[in-house]
Amino acid sequence: VTRGTAVWRGVVAGLAGGAVFGAAMARLGALPTIAALVRVNSTAVGFVVQISVAAVVGAIFGLVMDRERAARGEMLFWGLAYGAFWWYLGALTLWPILLGEPVGWSAAAARSAFPSLLGLLWYGATTGLVLAALRGTDPLRPHLGPGALVCGGVAGLAVVWLLNAILGEPNRPLAISPAMTRQPAMVEAVALLGLGLAVGVGYTLLFPDLPSTTGPALVRGVGYGFLLWVGVGLTLVPLIESAQLPWSVTQVRDAFPTLPTYLLLGAATAALTTWLRRAGRLLFAAPAQRAAEEGLGARTLRAVGRGAAAGVVGGLIFTVVMVQIGFLGTVARLVGSTRPAVGIAVHLAISLFIGACYGLLFRRQTLDLASALGWGSAYGFLWWILGALTILPIWLGGQPQWTAQAAAAAFPSLIGHLAYGAGLGVTFHLLESRYDPWWIPHVAGYAVRAARRRTELASTAPAVWILVDLMAVTVTVLLGGA
Amino acid sequence: MADTGLPDGASAPAEETSLRRRPFAPSPEASVVSWWVCALAGALAGFAAELVFGGIQLWQGLMEVGLVGAGPTVPGLGVSLVLAVVGGAGIGVVVGYRPGGYAAAAAAGLVLGLLWWVVESLTVLPLLSGVPVTWSASAAQTTFGFAIGSLLYGGFTGLGAHLLVARYSTTRPVSDGRDRRAAPVRRVVVLGGGFAGVSTAQRLERRLSRRADVAVVLVSDSNFLLFTPMLAGVAAGVLEPRHISAPVRAACPHTEFHRAVVGGIDPGRRLVHLRPVDAGGPSALDYDHLVLALGAVPNFRGLPGVMEHAWSLKSLDDATRLRNHILGLMELADVEANPVRRRGQLTFVVAGGGLAGCELVAELCDLVQDVRRFYPGVDPGDLRFVLVHPQDRILPELGSRLAEYARQRLGDKGIELLLATTVAEASRERVVLGDGRVLPTQTLVWTAGIRPNPMLSSAGLDLASNGAVVCEPTLQVRGHQDVWAVGDCAAIPDSQDQGRTYPPTAQHALREGRAAADNIVASLRGRPVRPFRFRTIAILVGLGHQQAVAQVRGRMFAGRLAWLLWRSVYLAKLPGLEKKVRVSLDWILDLFFPRDVVLTQPSAAATSRPRELAWNEGDE
Repeated sequence: VTRGTAVWRGVVAGLAGGAVFGAAMARLGALPTIAALVRVNSTAVGFVVQISVAAVVGAIFGLVMDRERAARGEMLFWGLAYGAFWWYLGALTLWPILLGEPVGWSAAAARSAFPSLLGLLWYGATTGLVLAALRGTDPLRPHLGPGALVCGGVAGLAVVWLLNAILGEPNRPLAISPAMTRQPAMVEAVALLGLGLAVGVGYTLLFPDLPSTTGPALVRGVGYGFLLWVGVGLTLVPLIESAQLPWSVTQVRDAFPTLPTYLLLGAATAALTTWLRRAGRLLFAAPAQRAAEEGLGARTLRAVGRGAAAGVVGGLIFTVVMVQIGFLGTVARLVGSTRPAVGIAVHLAISLFIGACYGLLFRRQTLDLASALGWGSAYGFLWWILGALTILPIWLGGQPQWTAQAAAAAFPSLIGHLAYGAGLGVTFHLLESRYDPWWIPHVAGYAVRAARRRTELASTAPAVWILVDLMAVTVTVLLGGA
Repeated sequence: MADTGLPDGASAPAEETSLRRRPFAPSPEASVVSWWVCALAGALAGFAAELVFGGIQLWQGLMEVGLVGAGPTVPGLGVSLVLAVVGGAGIGVVVGYRPGGYAAAAAAGLVLGLLWWVVESLTVLPLLSGVPVTWSASAAQTTFGFAIGSLLYGGFTGLGAHLLVARYSTTRPVSDGRDRRAAPVRRVVVLGGGFAGVSTAQRLERRLSRRADVAVVLVSDSNFLLFTPMLAGVAAGVLEPRHISAPVRAACPHTEFHRAVVGGIDPGRRLVHLRPVDAGGPSALDYDHLVLALGAVPNFRGLPGVMEHAWSLKSLDDATRLRNHILGLMELADVEANPVRRRGQLTFVVAGGGLAGCELVAELCDLVQDVRRFYPGVDPGDLRFVLVHPQDRILPELGSRLAEYARQRLGDKGIELLLATTVAEASRERVVLGDGRVLPTQTLVWTAGIRPNPMLSSAGLDLASNGAVVCEPTLQVRGHQDVWAVGDCAAIPDSQDQGRTYPPTAQHALREGRAAADNIVASLRGRPVRPFRFRTIAILVGLGHQQAVAQVRGRMFAGRLAWLLWRSVYLAKLPGLEKKVRVSLDWILDLFFPRDVVLTQPSAAATSRPRELAWNEGDE
């Protein structure tokens, strides 16, 4: 592919993204403010200006993504991350400078620009998907059979049903729409099943690859859940119900309790789909089809041991945060004590267990420090949602802390979890690179395989972590508090 | 350390093919840019990014934004620039370089920028200015401007570093995608696939995993590592043969494996001559370092008839054939009309009351007692188990109290112990003892002594009186810097006990292998080598059904506790999770089902001979 082709593909994708972004801005009535760039107050001029910018930004995307081997799903994530990046660079920095206004580098300015963040996420998603379609399918990627789609559908159904059954009223997946809760039970059930089916099949269509371990799928699922929240919860459902886009900070804050629902929905669907598909592969795939795979049990004990050791290291880093914010007492209450020493013991035991799970989930998925930090921090974020905001309060006899205010109050814990994840990921990577550096082929037969996996990982995984990390910090800081 | 060594097989005998050093396939995307180039590029990019984004902060007056209450000290642009250069170098190193990976570089930079914000704005600056560190959402909101600045700084530093390296690499071909590691220049050859050899290869593999210039080659006539401590279990039909053996190719995935018999060693020309096991011509391997881990073979001491008629227990084949032989005898005895001959068929003699002999005689006794009910023609009174031992107490490796306990337990099982007695002669139907007594038996199992692999005698190395290779305490063979010997074939001076050598046990072999590997790595790197030191941790002897004796660092255990210890230690030492699970299952199923009496050899004639080949043919 020549550089020119890459640019033109990017331009076309950017135009498509710009059309979506423009439509959203038109709905929000923001197009005239865009036209302010050329000192005109006109909707049409605003649209032309934004779509031209969109084409240029899309061209850059095409260039940057030129040599990354990313398929549909990963390209979608790259697009989302790219859109979020342009919110910071474009909406909060370049745009005010061009207009001669102060840059929007404050929480207040960022809050008032929040609708454009959602718009840019839509822009990025559309651009990414269109670019992926223009590039065509990678011949090396596996063909997606009907069995995989069935697995996805079953997983989605099971997860939606389970979440609906165990979550409280304000947190259910359908609570995204107040209208839905007023429907008869039959309609609600159908909507629920439809949602589950769509989520599961959609995930499988986006990510036809079957990763060798579940960890990457889990993190992908978190990103996918965020996408669903933005796409379905904040956009499609309100559009259908009231033809409105409730994208202002206060409106999004009200919808915040369903964000953890969707994140867990995405993560659990991804994990369950992967497990079902792996189980299917285990049972039915002919040896020739999985010649390159080790058995599930091979090297398991070592991965668990390394993960546990890395978990303790991460836990020690987290302990610093815990001591500083005085959180050890809460942890000690998990076992009915209030003594900080008990808190440290419980905390380290949990760190060890979660680290051992990391070892199982993410073995042979890191190839350098960057990927170690990326996977680790994303894994830490997942445990903030699942552990600190959900399991811990329920264990202590309360409700999931899923409001924007509660999430903001737990922000120190988020920092702790991110630090834990980073320490865990880096330590695990160092251990793995010392004893089992899978990316260095020592036998000719492994070389091609290792190189391919390395390239795939390096060019697809960063999109997911960056999306998760950006979302974790931006959304929590901007929606919580104030 | 000499350089690349010899042209392959330059002066080997004409009919030998020399085994080439296998080149690595090139990995097209491998990063070949060294870390300092990335650091330099990152520092430059970080400087530029900070000029832009720090400049924006300065211009817009954002530097003065403080936390609520006491304002933290905010570094000026000068300090920021210094920090940005250092941070940029860090980002450059962490992000690294992969051709074409613009997006990944920018993304990784962005994540690092975010981390930088957490460290700098939420942690270090409040600490420096005496404001309590809370990591709270309000602190995050107050410093959100810095978050955006750090994000953009990180992202552009990552991208900039990548562009700089890409630019740099077009002017100097350091990352043209070709792999410079064409072929390993050094070769370490390990001979022998037992505990010593495999542990050497595994350790070498692990220590050299990040170096592509050294190849590790392992040569063995069997392609699996046999867990010899459990062989008696196989002979007794409790364990499946394959469950106590782990394939070398799986245990050492990065090692090049050759299934061959070692025909000879030529230390002068640094060559090893190989003979294939099944078919094909001889071949030669050149080496930079050679590890001899060829093990030992039974030592029949030249006693008449013993080599031809005694069974041994050194290989998987020995164990399965012995089991078949015993079950075959049970079949014969069941229908045998002649009572004298039947008693001979039902008499089982084990020579040697050491660890292996005691374990084996107890296991054989359990096997026969357990399957006896399938053979109604076998009179329990005809069963006879005899342990012949030349000294006046069994288990000389253990303390006398444990040995006495073991003697009693074996006696309880009905095993006759003939102490201070030797085997003088053996034939197909009887064993003659040193004192002239005759035992009518068709089963003599020989565990009374081993000797190092006879192949070593032709290698021109210094040999000890028992035929083992004389080693320095560093495991180097005396007079050779690049030849190492470990395991049963090596005479390694005991560091604690002057004048003695380390005993030929599995726990020593494992440690010797690792120590040799460490020393080889040290000498490859030009570092000093270290003498080998090890003190026996434990001696565990199973005595059949739920009985064992154990001596752990001088502490003594006996009975069920020792048996549990014996099982758990051996299970833990068994290589690989899969085999552990399989052996555990074997043991559990054994509780619920009777022992199998399936004969896996077609005819009794096939099992009636202890072995197909004579040992002096050079078999390991």
